[in-house]
Amino acid sequence: MRKFAFILLIPLIFAFADEGEIIDAPDFTLEDVDGNTVCLDSLLVDGPVFMSFWALWCKMCIKELDALKPYYAEFDSMGINLLAISGDKARSVPQVKPFAQSHKWKYVIVMDPDDILRDLYNVQAMPSSFIINQDKQIVFTHMGYKPGDEEILIETMRELFVEGNDETGE
Amino acid sequence: MKLVSRVLLLLCVCGLLTASDIRISGANKAEYWVFVDRRLDSLNYKEHLTEKLKLQGNYKEITLKGVFFFWDPSIAVPGSLQYFDFTAQYKKDPVSILYGTYYTTFGRGLCLNQFLDEDFNNDNALFGLKADFKFFNSRLTLLTGKPRNIFFEELTYSIKNDTTDQIRGANFETKLPISKKRVNIVTSFAGRYVRVNRVSDMTPQAFTELFGGNIGLTIGPWENYFEYGRQWGTQPVVGGRLKGEGFLFTTGLAIPGLGISCQYIDYKDIGFGGPGYRYNEPPTPIKSGVSVNRGIDEIGYGTTIIASPFDFISLELSNNKISTHDASMDIFEELIKLDDDMDGVLEQIAKITTHPSFDMEITVGIERVIKQGIELPIQEKIETKPYIDLTYDFGSFFIDVGYEHTFVSSDTSDYYDHAVSFSLGKPEMFVLSVRYERRSRKPPDWLIPKLGEDTSWPMVELSLDLTRRHNLRLRVGAEKGGLVCSGGVCRFEEPFRGVKLVLTSMF
Repeated sequence: MRKFAFILLIPLIFAFADEGEIIDAPDFTLEDVDGNTVCLDSLLVDGPVFMSFWALWCKMCIKELDALKPYYAEFDSMGINLLAISGDKARSVPQVKPFAQSHKWKYVIVMDPDDILRDLYNVQAMPSSFIINQDKQIVFTHMGYKPGDEEILIETMRELFVEGNDETGE
Repeated sequence: MKLVSRVLLLLCVCGLLTASDIRISGANKAEYWVFVDRRLDSLNYKEHLTEKLKLQGNYKEITLKGVFFFWDPSIAVPGSLQYFDFTAQYKKDPVSILYGTYYTTFGRGLCLNQFLDEDFNNDNALFGLKADFKFFNSRLTLLTGKPRNIFFEELTYSIKNDTTDQIRGANFETKLPISKKRVNIVTSFAGRYVRVNRVSDMTPQAFTELFGGNIGLTIGPWENYFEYGRQWGTQPVVGGRLKGEGFLFTTGLAIPGLGISCQYIDYKDIGFGGPGYRYNEPPTPIKSGVSVNRGIDEIGYGTTIIASPFDFISLELSNNKISTHDASMDIFEELIKLDDDMDGVLEQIAKITTHPSFDMEITVGIERVIKQGIELPIQEKIETKPYIDLTYDFGSFFIDVGYEHTFVSSDTSDYYDHAVSFSLGKPEMFVLSVRYERRSRKPPDWLIPKLGEDTSWPMVELSLDLTRRHNLRLRVGAEKGGLVCSGGVCRFEEPFRGVKLVLTSMF
């Protein structure tokens, strides 16, 4: 019975999940580490949003956020807002801002200690990243990080948001 | 109250069912383990299956969430565990009303800390009603709920706080921006009250109150925070007053390239709950998550400095300590010293991460941890672990090589553990990892029932990205086990020898 349930579950999940499907991004309003209100709608007015879920204990999350540092200028030219959602619990809140600043990250750091955003975006593993276009659609989802994944991410952004390329992103 | 909740839930369900633009999404994690059960005399394979499916539907301001969980072990005792959690929420600023299973922390957790730590399999939930109101720079939270702590330890999921306790709470937070011109100056204040009723307790006035507050001051990159909590309770069954208090102070500096954070904690009977669980979970300054007794009798500090003077190098230094109080010392000595009479942990970390080239990352570090009275029956354990890790990205694939050597001095015996690991991976495809760990000697006879007789732990793991939203992980081999901690909560992880298959999906 157990094995049967397990085997049955796999195709069911695949049936639900169509990788190419573009889905609407759930709206949210949270505070960043500086106490400013961050709202998805107002971010999207300025440009698309790249959002990564991370935590202090997650080594691969930190590697991913570090690996994207050389591309800040390119993100700027594409008008992309960078958002890093910290899943650290309330106990770790005081360490998040010093950590992010020491790494010279240019992300807007948002705290999500009660997993509100993590639930909203169904994040099951850290890191998980999303690209949201200005039509408020999730056009890219990625679970986990391996060195080199950032190249694929950047290439996807270029395809979506650089003029002259595929215009499905905007 | 129940009628109001049911009406609210019914309205949410009807709204979702009749709506045309519903968004349904979810996530799933399925685990299947086959392993040698070393508690049996002869070689005997056991298995267990864990399944957690999350589904949510959103329609305008209404969200309906469901979590289906089942754990089905082949071990007869304690048998399987399954539950279905749901949450119905109406959220439209400035109001949010929620009914069902939820998690919440007041401040940093001195008065109430009900959280979900999925990676540590610690589910500290409340079931009931919660309302949030936002106005100006303030927020008021009112809640009522029944607590439930599902915890995984010794290969078993169990409900730790199977009681009739009821929690009621209120939290008010406000922020006062003083200046936003040259330097951003913000002050914050909060006050909170939590009452835990023990319905089944026959003691007169069988309830516990936790209350407190916090103040914060931010001046540009410099942040300060002070939180105080107090407990007034009733001794279960026998009656009589229980009193406790605790406070924590944190200060931090965050400027590009430099981050400093310091923490000071002092708890005397503020931790409240039963054996193995707490309704509040006061923070520990120890990075590896160890606490001494979770808010009963603790004093400690934590200091971390992280600096990246150049883009190619990052340095991290950390010195953290927590211990029981010692009345024979003054407060400064209590804070700094870890005497033989004290139970406590001293943790020191030094780490350098460097990028000699764009494709290469090298991390070299050393960690030293002294534990007294933490891993009983071992009274004192000193672990010193130097390690090195190298990652090289070839573009189409990458490699990672690591080595760590842990010198262990445990009461009267000394030994060492060493581990070597190698990973090969391709972006968006797979990572294949091999790890071999070895101990220089067998555990003493009196520890064999707990730690097993093994002295080597080989392991192979394949992590496969089936798609960008599906990951399959297959792990074959052995894991050493031992004490693992997160946020002050610790469990003994049994040595493992077998196969783990994990499928993670989001949709």
